[in-house]
Amino acid sequence: MLFRTNPSLGTPIYLQLMEQVKHAVETGALRAGDQLPGIRPLAEELVVNPNTVAKAYRELEHEGVIELRHGAGAFIAATAKGRKVADKVRLAQPIVTGAVEKLRAKGLSDEEIRRLFEAELAGLTKAGAQHE
Amino acid sequence: MVSYKSWLDTRWRFVIPLVVLVINVWGLLLEYPHIANLLRTIDIQPDALTRSGTLGRQIIETVSAEHTYRGFVWFQWFRQNLSQLGTLCAVLLGSGSLLAGSSGAGTLFTLSLPASRNQWLLARASVGLAQTLALIVIPSLEIAVVSPTIGQQYAVSDALVHSLCAFVVCGMFFSLAFLLSTEFADIWRPLLIAGGIAIVLSLIESRYELNGFFRVMSGSSYFFADTIPWIGLLVSAVLSLAMLYGASVNIARKDF
Amino acid sequence: MSDLFAIETDDLRKHYDGGVEALRGLTLQVPRGSIFGFLGKNGAGKTTTIKVLLGMARATSGRATVFGLAAGAQDSSVAIRRRTGFVSEEKDLYELMTVEQIIRFTASFYPSWRGDLEHQYLRSFELPRDRKVQDLSRGMRTKLALLLALSRGAELLILDEPTSGLDPAMTEEILQALVAHVARQETTVFLSSHQLSHVDQIADRVAIIDHGRIVVSGALEDLLESYRRLQLVFDGDAPDHTFRADGVVRQQRRGRVLTVICRGNAEPIAADARALGAASVEIMPVPLREIFLETVNGEN
Repeated sequence: MLFRTNPSLGTPIYLQLMEQVKHAVETGALRAGDQLPGIRPLAEELVVNPNTVAKAYRELEHEGVIELRHGAGAFIAATAKGRKVADKVRLAQPIVTGAVEKLRAKGLSDEEIRRLFEAELAGLTKAGAQHE
Repeated sequence: MVSYKSWLDTRWRFVIPLVVLVINVWGLLLEYPHIANLLRTIDIQPDALTRSGTLGRQIIETVSAEHTYRGFVWFQWFRQNLSQLGTLCAVLLGSGSLLAGSSGAGTLFTLSLPASRNQWLLARASVGLAQTLALIVIPSLEIAVVSPTIGQQYAVSDALVHSLCAFVVCGMFFSLAFLLSTEFADIWRPLLIAGGIAIVLSLIESRYELNGFFRVMSGSSYFFADTIPWIGLLVSAVLSLAMLYGASVNIARKDF
Repeated sequence: MSDLFAIETDDLRKHYDGGVEALRGLTLQVPRGSIFGFLGKNGAGKTTTIKVLLGMARATSGRATVFGLAAGAQDSSVAIRRRTGFVSEEKDLYELMTVEQIIRFTASFYPSWRGDLEHQYLRSFELPRDRKVQDLSRGMRTKLALLLALSRGAELLILDEPTSGLDPAMTEEILQALVAHVARQETTVFLSSHQLSHVDQIADRVAIIDHGRIVVSGALEDLLESYRRLQLVFDGDAPDHTFRADGVVRQQRRGRVLTVICRGNAEPIAADARALGAASVEIMPVPLREIFLETVNGEN
């Protein structure tokens, strides 16, 4: 299971990791009970700060996506949340695919499409996303 | 390990001069039989020489001194060779950065180690003074040891007293170079400045026939009158300590 | 000064003879266990700060402590250095010693020397024991300097531009060794650099120094979550409006586009912009590199 982080995107690395784990759960690449790499080995592999990986794992546990079993490691949680999210996302996928195809047909580049989505999400959800 | 570094930085400046001095002594002693013969054939008119001024007096002094073996050793070795070479070596050993490695780099590395600047200074001063002492005592004792092979005797006590006098004054020049080394990081400036000062002092002393540092260094009062020049030694020692203290203060306030 | 912080400075000033003011009131705090990125342009005061912390230079005024010990006093400075590993920018080492000799020499100063780490790094860095330091390549020197710093069993590592002059592969190797070390040993890392791409990968806290003062500091993820770039496009020429909300770092008007960099408060500014009639309002994150460029290349 390869995670990749890119600091120059401007998003904190721990968020990038969280997104990747969640995406893996949504697409079924990681299923309930699967074990995630340990914090130290993952930090060494990605060459990122171990505290960053630790934070990502803590937040994922807080959100119920993973379980941290003392002494054993991190495992994908066997909660319905994961599965429900996966279903929702699977149903949403064709909508997004369709929208992207239409926009491409209109001559928009992938970069422009991405920015439109980001701006839309930033504009609408900023207030909701304020946490801590 | 602090002292070990000081040793590593200066060992060639110690070993090579030591070899040079030991050979120099040996050469000197081998010459003695020829000089003794030469002196016996010279017929000196003391009146004529005293009338021809300083140079004349110096010639008389030389010739009369060298009539005895003890005099020869004192004049050639302690008054001439050792005074010059000893001062030069002392200044050489005291020059060069206290903190950098032998190549000149590594100052920041030294300063990042858990030893205070005073520790480095103390180690370098101790090692340097010990080396200076060895450079003076070893060849001087060699004289006492080797003399019997040319059929002469030289007292160990004489060798030691003269060595002490030479060491204390040479030590002062060492301290001068050492103090200058805390101001200049390269090896040349302390060497040339301290060496230059030593040369100027010795010229002034001989021109005006002063009872100065170089006379104390050669222990002439002991040779002529069996009197150890305590005051001269004390002044030299005090000056040494003052300059070493100055070095410590100077290096403490420096930014690197 | 508390024990929570590995390094603390308070209004540190350093004035060199000749009029150069290297530090003009530097205040920073480095929490224990963090990887702290100390960023700044060349000449901003990074190396001077490090020299003051290690007792190589004396501050003109202000306080600096490491592990709660005063950096300016001879005795406590020695105690600090016993627990600190340092790699200088030039990778200053004794040129004429061999790798083996300088390792043994350094080890003799540290009762807490870790022979196991020494062997591990000798192997993984592939350092030739019998080669003289002056015959090592730049990358090898950096690895040797790093080995000497890491094997001390130090609680704090101070690294001045550790990846300068290294190719990308070597840089990655160095960063990897650092991260692996930090993951296994309880160490604080204080890392100065003008190359951000390495720092934003591994630092969890950063401070940006400019002209001898800290201009930005905080947890890296907080900074990345709070800085935003707003790109406002207008149908006609962009209006000459100055956004007065708190946190505006910079704004720039060019033709139809008004760009605003702000720290926090992106929403109110966006609302203002829409009220002004902006045709499009894009809010984008700001990577560390741009935060750096915006805060040191002239304020508004």
